[in-house]
Amino acid sequence: MAQILRGNFEPRKRPNVELPSTDDLTSRFEAEALRRLGGSIAFVSKKKFTLGLEAHRPDSEAPKASNGAKRAGSPS
Amino acid sequence: VLVRQADTSPPSLGRTIAASLGSITLQKVTEVGFANARANAERIASGQSIAALRDTPLADGGDALVVAAGPSLHRIDTARVIRESGFRGTIIATDSSMSWCLRNGITPDLVVTLDPHPTRIVRWFGDPGLDEAALREDDPFARLDDAYYARQDMDPGFRDEQLAKNAELVQLIDENGSRMRIAISSSAAPAVAERVAASGMEAFWWNPMYDDYDAPNSLTHRIRDMNGLPCVNAGGNVGSACWVFAHAVLGKSRVGLVGVDFGYYSDTPYERTQYFDEIVSLVGSHRLDDVFVRVHNPHVGKEFYTDPAYLWFRDSFLEMVETAECETYNCTGGGILFGPGIHWSGLAEFLSGSPAS
Repeated sequence: MAQILRGNFEPRKRPNVELPSTDDLTSRFEAEALRRLGGSIAFVSKKKFTLGLEAHRPDSEAPKASNGAKRAGSPS
Repeated sequence: VLVRQADTSPPSLGRTIAASLGSITLQKVTEVGFANARANAERIASGQSIAALRDTPLADGGDALVVAAGPSLHRIDTARVIRESGFRGTIIATDSSMSWCLRNGITPDLVVTLDPHPTRIVRWFGDPGLDEAALREDDPFARLDDAYYARQDMDPGFRDEQLAKNAELVQLIDENGSRMRIAISSSAAPAVAERVAASGMEAFWWNPMYDDYDAPNSLTHRIRDMNGLPCVNAGGNVGSACWVFAHAVLGKSRVGLVGVDFGYYSDTPYERTQYFDEIVSLVGSHRLDDVFVRVHNPHVGKEFYTDPAYLWFRDSFLEMVETAECETYNCTGGGILFGPGIHWSGLAEFLSGSPAS
């Protein structure tokens, strides 16, 4: 049976078939997919969902972004 | 019903690709995310951070409903159920579902946007600069009726007559912008930031986490140092980001999901899926079944299928839900998001405050 599956003739030229590895496929898929969508943002496998929000209060806000200056319902 | 064991197909090429996506996505998105953050610096510096959202009525109450743009939104009478429910919680919509909400008489309390693509995301807001030439530039090898948005199964409204639909959308967002708040990522394209400002939406800025914030020289810390904004783990996609905003930013204890499919209905042709061209160019049209992963959803007794990108989003979501301090109710009515930590519930039951548990 194994002999049959292997084929019953010797090809004149050995075919040069190279299958891409899964790593290659993954990289190519991702590159193509990101080109289409622009790329969603990374998922970070960490327990905290936010950084810098816990202690984020008006008096501790970094200088470059305002915080809490507007209240709900304020026109923009 | 809390499902303990996700029912998925055995490992396949599609699943193998999905498992590897996360580790290599970072480097590809960082460059454009940082470039957009620099371009948006002036708006950010004169704007508000998402911390201010906690001082708005959006943070009141314990319930939130996330509306994403998956195909179930259009197959089930979702809009009527939401409208008739009298739901008093916070409605958080993805940028891609915002127009569906407005067209159906639902005004989102908060819209979330994060994808950095330079031209495509602004289309969800109505792009005043869109013309036939821009459509062809967007996808030069496609027919006008077969370009990116034309291929969306997510919102059939975007499929046909794109220019006319875009003009209607510009008007719709302009009319409703001042009634909505938006959590806009520093990574968003400047065109989106400009459109948000022009439409009168009230913007609240944030940074997406880019990497392990505990690592030395972390990019996440670098961007926080750059603009001072809080960072949020966006979960890889805008639908997941909405859910994170609901519990981790607004402090909601019960979060319902609609339109969070992360997959396609089995009668959806492969060519209507998001990454069809990429998958064909990757493995050829004869191996599509190896890449698309079939998933049986026991809650609805139907089979759905998904691609590696959506499968990765789903796996990431399931990982995040393990540590979230909220109860998550998937009211989508279809799709592949089920597993440990996810309650499957009817939408009407969730909105009435009596979901399945």
